[in-house]
Amino acid sequence: MTRLPRTARREDTGADEAPEAGAGAATEPSEGPAKAGTDGGAAAATDQDTTRASGTDEHGTADEDGATDEDGTTDEDGTTDEDEAMDEDGTADESRRRRPAGAWRKAAPVAAATVLLLGGAGFHHAAHQLRSAPSARNHALTDTGATTRVSGDVAEGLARVFSYTPADTDAAERSSRTVLAGRAARQYGDLLAQVRTNLVEQRITLSTQAVRTGVIELDGDSARLLVFLDQTSRRDRAAATTAAAQLTVTAEYRGDRWLIVDIKAR
Amino acid sequence: MRRAEALGTGALVLALGFCGTGAWTYAQARGDEELAFSRERDTALAEGRSRLTVLNTLDASTRERAEAGIRAWRDASTGPLRTELGRTRPTVGASARATVTEAALTALDARAGTAKLIATVRVDVTPRGAAAATTDRKRLEAVLTRTGENTWRVAALSAVPVAAAEKGGKTEKGEEGGDE
Repeated sequence: MTRLPRTARREDTGADEAPEAGAGAATEPSEGPAKAGTDGGAAAATDQDTTRASGTDEHGTADEDGATDEDGTTDEDGTTDEDEAMDEDGTADESRRRRPAGAWRKAAPVAAATVLLLGGAGFHHAAHQLRSAPSARNHALTDTGATTRVSGDVAEGLARVFSYTPADTDAAERSSRTVLAGRAARQYGDLLAQVRTNLVEQRITLSTQAVRTGVIELDGDSARLLVFLDQTSRRDRAAATTAAAQLTVTAEYRGDRWLIVDIKAR
Repeated sequence: MRRAEALGTGALVLALGFCGTGAWTYAQARGDEELAFSRERDTALAEGRSRLTVLNTLDASTRERAEAGIRAWRDASTGPLRTELGRTRPTVGASARATVTEAALTALDARAGTAKLIATVRVDVTPRGAAAATTDRKRLEAVLTRTGENTWRVAALSAVPVAAAEKGGKTEKGEEGGDE
């Protein structure tokens, strides 16, 4: 690390000195290894030239060996090298000592910003989780107005379509159009077609009343309810009998009221 | 250098702001009464369902099992119902296994810790020694009371009778909690 700039520097100076040194030493070998022995060799050679002019001749002849010579010179160089290296180390140490402080000064805000960003993201995420949880989307009982509205509409609708007199089954069918939709409407149509003749022949009167209504789920325009019904039927002049019915009703808000779209017996 | 410092400070302030709004949003959501009410409602409903299942189930094939079943009843109940069930003596007889097919809350007072629940329950009753079970469907109404953090117990349980009096007696029997 410390060597590289140094050899580069030396090379520069060596290149500058080359004509002089070349003239002083006047040796072809200095040219030889300098080219053959790479840049390091050149640097070493020029180094030698400048530091010990007297020994150059000897070395010059031994230069043919190349490798050993270079080793020797670098060893000798080593002492001066170390001194310089020490100097450089000294400055490097300072800068290293300074660098951690500088690094800290740079890293601390980055770390703080990262922690803050992560924390913020965590908070936002947790808040979103809370707000979008299934329990939060279900407005049954939390939105009292809508809960009462859907309960009332469904209870009243069921009472209307499941109450009829033999004289007026058409009325029930008519009201079913304003109360039922979708699958529930089809189911109801099939049911009424089946029982209509019986109703008229046996003079059956049915009246239905919702006794309990509970909203299970209420999410925007759709709702699911549990409804307990009491159905009193009277056959002509016989005594009335009352039966219990439990339904799970799916309702949808269309236009200005809740329509029953599906009915399941429980 | 100045520029970089200013940029760094700006980024820090932005991150601080982001974290701050996050914390504020979270605190808002956490303290939101409607959200808390929703959670309470769902807890009460889920707890009520499982309590009703227990209260309508009894394995009375042996005396020990019947005893364990009645202990479970007492654990699922509180207040007047608990006292009432405490008087029940374990006897060997018909066993019942209940399934809550649907349930809904009709009222909830989160502050007072009371709720009303309606439920439809299917009960499979197996007479002693018999292999085949008969299925019975009930509609029940229960009053729930919060007895601890996220714990609701049944304080009162009754069948919802049909309006006509002549059938009332029969459905009333289911009130005891499915030991029939």
